[in-house]
Amino acid sequence: MTNDPIISLQDVTFTYEGDVVALHNLNLTARKGEFVVVLGANGAGKSTLCYLISGIVPHIYGGRRRGRVSVAGLDPWDEPLYATAQRCGVLMQDPEVQLFMPTLKAELAFGPANLGVPRDEISKRSREALALVRLEGLEEHNPRDLSGGQKQRAALAAVLTMNPQVLVLDEPTSQLDPLGRWEVVEAIERLKQKGDLTIIMTTHETEEILRLADQVLVLERGEAVLQGTPSQVFTQAERLEEAGVKTPALIQVQSRLSGHEGDYPEEKQVNLTISAVAQRARQAIQAGRLVVRPAALPSLRPVALDRPVILEARDLTVEYPGPPPVVALRGVNVQIRQGEFVGIVGQNGSGKSTLVKCFVGLLKPRQGEVLFKGESIRKLSIGEIARRVGLVLQNPDYQLFTASCRDEIRFGLRNVGVPAEEIEQRVEETLRMVGLSEEADLFPFRLSFGDRRKLAVAATMALGPEVLIMDEPTTAQDHRGRYQLAELARRFHEEKQGTVLMITHDVDLIARYAHRLIVLYQGQVLLDGPTPEVFGQVEELKKSFVVPPVAAQLAAELAPLGVPPHVMTLEELWQVLVPQRDRGGE
Amino acid sequence: MQPVFRYTHVDTPIHRLHPLVKVTYVLLTLVLVMYPIKASDMPVLLIWLGFSAVLWTVARIELRRFTTLLKILTGTFIFLILIQGFTYRGGHTPLIVLGHLKLWEADLGVITKEGVWFGLVLCVRILVATSSLPLFVMTTPASAIMTAMGKLRVPQTVTFMFVSALSFTTLLFEMWGSIVEAQKLRAFDIDSMNFVKRAVKAYVPIITPLILLLFRKANDFQIAMETKGFGAPIEPTEIETLTARPTDYLWLAFIVSVFVLCTVLKFS
Repeated sequence: MTNDPIISLQDVTFTYEGDVVALHNLNLTARKGEFVVVLGANGAGKSTLCYLISGIVPHIYGGRRRGRVSVAGLDPWDEPLYATAQRCGVLMQDPEVQLFMPTLKAELAFGPANLGVPRDEISKRSREALALVRLEGLEEHNPRDLSGGQKQRAALAAVLTMNPQVLVLDEPTSQLDPLGRWEVVEAIERLKQKGDLTIIMTTHETEEILRLADQVLVLERGEAVLQGTPSQVFTQAERLEEAGVKTPALIQVQSRLSGHEGDYPEEKQVNLTISAVAQRARQAIQAGRLVVRPAALPSLRPVALDRPVILEARDLTVEYPGPPPVVALRGVNVQIRQGEFVGIVGQNGSGKSTLVKCFVGLLKPRQGEVLFKGESIRKLSIGEIARRVGLVLQNPDYQLFTASCRDEIRFGLRNVGVPAEEIEQRVEETLRMVGLSEEADLFPFRLSFGDRRKLAVAATMALGPEVLIMDEPTTAQDHRGRYQLAELARRFHEEKQGTVLMITHDVDLIARYAHRLIVLYQGQVLLDGPTPEVFGQVEELKKSFVVPPVAAQLAAELAPLGVPPHVMTLEELWQVLVPQRDRGGE
Repeated sequence: MQPVFRYTHVDTPIHRLHPLVKVTYVLLTLVLVMYPIKASDMPVLLIWLGFSAVLWTVARIELRRFTTLLKILTGTFIFLILIQGFTYRGGHTPLIVLGHLKLWEADLGVITKEGVWFGLVLCVRILVATSSLPLFVMTTPASAIMTAMGKLRVPQTVTFMFVSALSFTTLLFEMWGSIVEAQKLRAFDIDSMNFVKRAVKAYVPIITPLILLLFRKANDFQIAMETKGFGAPIEPTEIETLTARPTDYLWLAFIVSVFVLCTVLKFS
């Protein structure tokens, strides 16, 4: 790292057309080789910062700027976009919109060819970029045929062939599964190790950037509320929580342990491992500063087997025609009992979405059938299924089309023939339930992404289904938004005695809510059982790249000391590991 | 589902063919369908359609790639056959008589055999017109299309608009499918509606989110392209070098010969 600032923002305020202030008095300096992580809730200004540095504002999105910006010696405001692009590359969230050429080779050549870079140089840069993202041998493949992680790495390689000095990564892993995220983060780590790029990355996944970050900037409503080294920022858990940023679980545990060890200075190291934190907890237990109280944790009560089966997949096989044909489900048998809260996890392509689409009749299996309360859904119309089983898809924007949130909910109710007076009652009730009563008359596209998702949930719940299925409600969602959606599912489960199925990659979230977990792998059920039992089968889980929650991993490490293996969340861990002084007061 | 217009990487004689030969095929097809149309043109159109079918077969492109396109065209075909059936001026052999409503030379209450035939000719003409461009774009990589269009002195912006529009069709098909699914979840099943109901009310819940999403995606596309230097006032590097082989000349001669045959038949 040298001392020359490559990125310099001084007192920068940016206002979009329509007088929306997106960034306010922001200061940031990054030097060559430095890795800056920008955190914040959705709408905090992270993407605007990326746009400002890469010249996308004002050249694509207009607005007004105050303050000074310098990126690799240029002010992106004054330079045409192609000039900034030669110094600053940008990788966005969605790989689909960044790949437009028919082969990976052509994709990598696209940028430098636009700039007139000689053909030999383009070949050399392409080879280097492919090696760096580990996609050698796929040059002639259509980028659209690659997996999610491969697509994003292909998009990254296409940015790298522009030979930038600055790389802006705007939530590059938010739409990927755990394997895809790991692949992309590994590629970014290699870039950092090379040391010649200055990298700015926005993310919600605080755990994955800990070992990379040199500097962390936390934004809240466009303002920097925390800024410094990872240890300076991540030890301020309360402020992070206020800003809607998740403090990595291991840091939370360490901080808690430090709090109980009055004689020890608070640990400032943030790049932690499970075994190191477990070792520290073990020492605290052995020294008597912490007491293990296994009885404090109620034993799990999974749904009784005598509850009736509400939804059943019987010997389901689904094949997509292709080319090439892909078998998405292979003889899957699953029974969902009334009142269960079931999590479904697995890699993209493992068959999760295919399974739930079969449950609502969107896909017809090649073999086998789906039963609702013992009756085949083949006999039911789409409307009849919708009144029984509701599926909320990942992207709410595929369904919203009316002029107001109220109309959006009315639409489905009219389709299923609910009487007019009941429609109004249900509309108000569901809007209240999802907390959108005040936005009832707003145009849905004016809502934030999180609120649009809530509206989609409301539109589904209004139909009065007995089963609610949420397909990856956590994707592209900030920490707070994820839990708001999960809470809606919990309320449906508890207040309406509904049955919930939730597909997600967020193991911490699913461990908190789901009683039962199904792991799909290559179109088959790999594991199925009570959540703690499934998370306990670490070796089997590795096949599907599912890693148990941090609390469960710590509990497993501390099991010889009496910590029960069904600890799944940090709150449960605190119930079991009690400081000696608290226990004295019992 | 593989959308129409998506390049498929297969090694066939048509894929290996020089892009300019395929451009010639597309242009000659357009010329053929632009000729003034007559009811007696069916054999000529069928010859060219048959010729296109041969090219499709050699290129190993499955007909099911066109399911969606054919579904959309089916509505147009029915409309054309009916409208010509009722209004064709040269129609004099009644097929179905619903009543009599004279308007100039046509009787709008009668579907005529000649009218239906002319409607069929128009349908085949549309099929001919829509069969050539997909063959070109599905067998030619975008980079080769860009180089070929460069050789034809087509401005780079126009070329790229064309190529990126092709990329966009893939997204369009995916989005269409996702929106239809999302609305089915709210008991709105466009697939189970009849043609009239679809035309009257069904498309609003599908088209509105599609347009809104397209605007958003178009922005993302623009960002992705412009941050990769697209539109820079710099002479771009030619990535693909195109060289014509003897087989390209043979194919060219073959295509031109079929075109000349069709033209002679049409005007003889």
